Amino acid sequence: MSDLLRAPAEIKYAEELDWLESVDDGPKPFSWRLSPKMVRLFVLGSERADGLDREISQKWFGDRSFVERSIVTLASDRGLLLIGDPGTGKSWLAELLSAAICRNSTLVVQGTAGTTEDHIKYSWNVSMVIAKGQSRASMIPSPIMTAMERGAIGRFEELTRATSDVQDALISILSEKYISVPELDSESDNIVFAQPGFSVIATANSRDRGVNDLSSALKRRFNFVRIPVVTNKKSEAEIVRFRTEELLRRHRIELDVPPTLLDVLLQSFADLRASAAAATSDDEKLESALSTAEQIGVLEDAVLHSTFFGERTLSARTLASSLVGSLARRDPEDLALMNKYLHGVVEPRSKEEGGSWPEFLEGGRDAIATLS
Amino acid sequence: MSAGTFEALRGQLHEAATAFADGPGALEGILRGIVDDVDRALSEPLEIFPVCHHSPASALAMARRLRAKQPKVVYLELCEDMAPLLTELRNCRLPVAVQAFAGEVVGFPADWSPLSVVAPITEASAEYQAIAYTLDTPGVELVLVDRSSDHVFQWEARDEHPPAPAEPADPDAPQGEDGALHGDAVGVEIGDLRPRFAELEEHLLRHGRVRHWSEWWHQYVEVPLGDGDHDTYRQVMLLIGSLFRRLAPGDPRRVRVDEDRERYMWTRIRAHLTATGTDPADCLYVCGAFHAASRVEEFGVHGTDTFTISPPSGTTWRHGLIPSSHAAIEAQFGLAGGSVSIAAAEWAKNVRRTGVKPYRLEGQAGTKKQGRKAALPTVPAPSGAPADKLSGFLGRPPALDRLDEAELLGWSVDVVRAARRNGYLASTADAIAVFETSILLAGMRDRAKPTPYDFQDAAVTCIEKDVVPGRRDVRRLVESMMGGDRVGQVGYDALPPLARDVHDRLAPLALRLQQRGVQRALLDIASRPELEACSDVLWILRRLLPQGAARPIMGERRLGERPIQESWDLALGTHQRALIELGYEGVSIEQVLEQRLRRTAYDPRATTGAVLETVEDALLHLRSRRLADELGTRALEVLSRERSVDGAPEVLRRVRRLLAYHRTHEPALPAWIESFVTTGYAHYCTLLPTAFTDEDATVRQVGATLGFLFSMEGLALSLGCDRTQLELAVAQSRPEDPAKTALLWAARTHLGTLSRTELRARCADLLGNPLVVPSYPRYLSGFLHALEPVPALADFVVEAVSQAFARLPDQVLLPWLPSLITSLRSGGAELAPLLIREADRLFPGRLAALDAWTPPWEAPPPPVGEQAAAGPHAGQGAALLAAHPAACDALAGLLGCDDPWQPAPAATSRGAVLLSAHPVTGEALAALLTTG
Repeated sequence: MSDLLRAPAEIKYAEELDWLESVDDGPKPFSWRLSPKMVRLFVLGSERADGLDREISQKWFGDRSFVERSIVTLASDRGLLLIGDPGTGKSWLAELLSAAICRNSTLVVQGTAGTTEDHIKYSWNVSMVIAKGQSRASMIPSPIMTAMERGAIGRFEELTRATSDVQDALISILSEKYISVPELDSESDNIVFAQPGFSVIATANSRDRGVNDLSSALKRRFNFVRIPVVTNKKSEAEIVRFRTEELLRRHRIELDVPPTLLDVLLQSFADLRASAAAATSDDEKLESALSTAEQIGVLEDAVLHSTFFGERTLSARTLASSLVGSLARRDPEDLALMNKYLHGVVEPRSKEEGGSWPEFLEGGRDAIATLS
Repeated sequence: MSAGTFEALRGQLHEAATAFADGPGALEGILRGIVDDVDRALSEPLEIFPVCHHSPASALAMARRLRAKQPKVVYLELCEDMAPLLTELRNCRLPVAVQAFAGEVVGFPADWSPLSVVAPITEASAEYQAIAYTLDTPGVELVLVDRSSDHVFQWEARDEHPPAPAEPADPDAPQGEDGALHGDAVGVEIGDLRPRFAELEEHLLRHGRVRHWSEWWHQYVEVPLGDGDHDTYRQVMLLIGSLFRRLAPGDPRRVRVDEDRERYMWTRIRAHLTATGTDPADCLYVCGAFHAASRVEEFGVHGTDTFTISPPSGTTWRHGLIPSSHAAIEAQFGLAGGSVSIAAAEWAKNVRRTGVKPYRLEGQAGTKKQGRKAALPTVPAPSGAPADKLSGFLGRPPALDRLDEAELLGWSVDVVRAARRNGYLASTADAIAVFETSILLAGMRDRAKPTPYDFQDAAVTCIEKDVVPGRRDVRRLVESMMGGDRVGQVGYDALPPLARDVHDRLAPLALRLQQRGVQRALLDIASRPELEACSDVLWILRRLLPQGAARPIMGERRLGERPIQESWDLALGTHQRALIELGYEGVSIEQVLEQRLRRTAYDPRATTGAVLETVEDALLHLRSRRLADELGTRALEVLSRERSVDGAPEVLRRVRRLLAYHRTHEPALPAWIESFVTTGYAHYCTLLPTAFTDEDATVRQVGATLGFLFSMEGLALSLGCDRTQLELAVAQSRPEDPAKTALLWAARTHLGTLSRTELRARCADLLGNPLVVPSYPRYLSGFLHALEPVPALADFVVEAVSQAFARLPDQVLLPWLPSLITSLRSGGAELAPLLIREADRLFPGRLAALDAWTPPWEAPPPPVGEQAAAGPHAGQGAALLAAHPAACDALAGLLGCDDPWQPAPAATSRGAVLLSAHPVTGEALAALLTTG
């Protein structure tokens, strides 16, 4: 474990990756560090049937076929576009894949409204240009260009947040696999060719689609893998537990999350999702996508709160106030919905089932009262 | 099976055995047991051929084995009572299902009815191969040995709950209408080979890295077995059967049924062998791999004869073929969507690849022409790997052979074309990507060749970029490309007589009704009178078949009306099963309808209204006076048994309709309807006082009772009823409910015991009394319902409603208004027009007229004298009386009135009387006139 606040996957799992590389005897495409099967194993964890000497933990939770399709796409000629609601683990999957394939998950371009073509291609070190003129030395390559040169995986986060003209800069990179630098004269220097193994993993938020929708030309150069929100309670519990433990370790907090409270959290999200699915207009559903990441956020918030301000045990009351605090973003719409949920669903349940629900209800009510 | 193709399967099964055995010792026990099982089955003198359902590999091995062995007798694991139907399979387009059906149950709980068992048969199945071989080869006998349909339910009855259909594999999968083709029948199938407990299946799926059972089977058994020789095939299937059996004891009830089936089958086989003296070596026993690995005592030709087959219950079973479909089979047996279609595609491919000539029933409907099949290139098995040598087979390198590569290329191009047709942006580049991705995915999933499932994933990855609601997604496109769902059809010759009769009788419509889908039939009966017979058939079908099979778009059939033009939406092909099941009930639709009408009428819980409906149907559809009279007599019986007026509204409506029909169409009323009216009159008179006080009887019901009494009165009295009975009944009625009280007042007004003036006065009292005013709306509701028995009261009801609007205080009026509107809309649909017409007559039509308008009920009543003078003949009677008082006096004397007749004083005008009483005004006026 490194001292970094958040180590990238290739550092965090360096030892595991080294070991996998040492036992990997499968065929590797291009300059990949691991064979596709090993990449899958790294992401999804090992089974006894794999016949490995050590256990590899599962790092991404979701349908196996998504991972397989993603890996296969990267081994083909096309880029990979992961689409899904916020918090479904797209970026995490992208990071794991790049770490496993090329041991570098940091070649990232973040798509924003302010992203320019320079961020994708290259820019110039102005002072060096003034001093020495335009040369490869005075050029600042973008992460994508670096990935091309090294035959690595470049990542483009939130592709649809970048404007269309910037997105389209990717078209030539993905089809011709080179970037020309017209400012340089030298025949050998003015084109940067991609080395074998180069590919791009982009992520896009399905909620933002339509902001800057991809052009058909760019769509054609990507394979789309749609990551759904996890609705299976069992695997969601698994994800929340896994991520929370990791976060707690990072904060060096020792606090147990009682399984009953985890159930309460999962159940309340399931209820809220059901009501969002039944809603007919945006006003009738919470602004939040109610993703798994959101759940982890709620739990983390509750844990931190009880560690630093509470009695060092997680209570249903804290969980409820953190749930209300995280989900009620719009006043009054979201607050009204939370209020409706607490009184319409939680109240009858707390009467019927008891357990942590009555305390949860009380905490929720207090939180709403404070906020409104 | 040391290495090679089955390595993966061996690993999987070993892993599962390890995981589910309790310890190393147990594992060893299981493995030894499996060896014993396989050994036992293999050493059996009667050759056992284990199969799995919807497994092309089984079918192929079957075809091969039948060609090689040419057995004389084939024993098949299929309900023994279904045997006679199998020859009819050639008239059908597969898949179809053999059905055993019992509408009336004897010896089973009544709520299980109707009982239905289906055994679907697809072309890509081992059982079809066996059936086709035995039926088309002279001298070969097919013996079905499994328990009869009756035993399916008998054995379930021991546990007292009906057999349930299997759970669907994927509960989220959309179930199309084709999924319900089998109705709620219990499915039986040859070779159900699937782990009997969920954990084992889950384990296999997780470790096999597949999504569902069908995919596991396809990857680990189907594909490796595709070209396997007979011995390999048998060993593998026995091994899997035995393992699943040993690992998963499952539900003890199911185990008992399974073992009893094995006992049953072997008992039957031994009986047949003894009876015919056949050499077991000439026979073949086709059964599910699960049953092949049996350990019951009765197993084998030399097994013990300890099992006694229970006699069938008294239930009469009928048999037929019904259409089936891949989707229906998947839904019924809990298979993943598309798996049966993929099995069919795999079968076609295997047949071409291996060059094995499958058996097919001669003249099998719905199959491709033989010539075309033969023209397809047959690709020989790769050199050095003859299909009949185990070692060569196992050593074959896992590589794409030419056919697979060509096939995959073809698929890739086709799916892109299909995607383009469905609005996706897909190009040749995508076809290349799909091809490449399929191979990569297959490699990643340890598969030698891409399976259809890999191809499906690859297509989704490369082509699907947008999710557009309403557009077909790529997964569906691939499924339909693989052959999609295939829906079977039962050929005309294999239909029961009733269904054939229906088709014959509808022939004049010149529609292809066997085809699936909705067809529009236009019947211009006025110009083509022969179509009236078709119309009759269609109306009966509409009455008998589920909704949608025959739906009238234009035209209706009512008592006493002749059809002129009709148009229908017909979907008989889609609802073929329903039509065939009708065939189990009788030989013609008229007969079935008659039976159903009788059954409804003689149901112990039948109401008079329901029985009258059957009378109407008998007249309408069957035009049978005989049946109508019989059912009418039954209605009479039911009516006299009824002890409440619950059904009165319906009875009234139907009797009125029937009376109107008989009056206009027949010289005399049928005897039953006459006695129905008289009995009804007496019956309802008796019930009336109780109905008025009974809290459960609604105002509408009491109103309808009164309606029956008042509107049938004329007829009833002419048939000998006595009016006094009604008068007494009304007099005995003492309702407490305001609505019913109002109804009683209306009834009394009708009978003349309460005058309108009194009625009006009572209403005015109600409105004037602050204590009872809140209940006024309920009185009004009673008056509204009184319109049914006493329509002449309409003007009074309008008046009462107007009074309510005028005089009710707001706190009563406002809450009542919405309920008035809703109750008028729901309950008074027939009464509202009457009310509106009356209101239209009473109220001024124009706004201008409103100011001068006085409601008729507020206009001062015309004085008695004036009233008398108003009539042209009014004065005549009085004049006569005054002129000849003797007759009147004599009558008065007889009646005991001694006061003699006083001649009336001369009529003087009232103005004159006033004038003489107060002369001052007149004099003053005169003075003014004279002075002016």
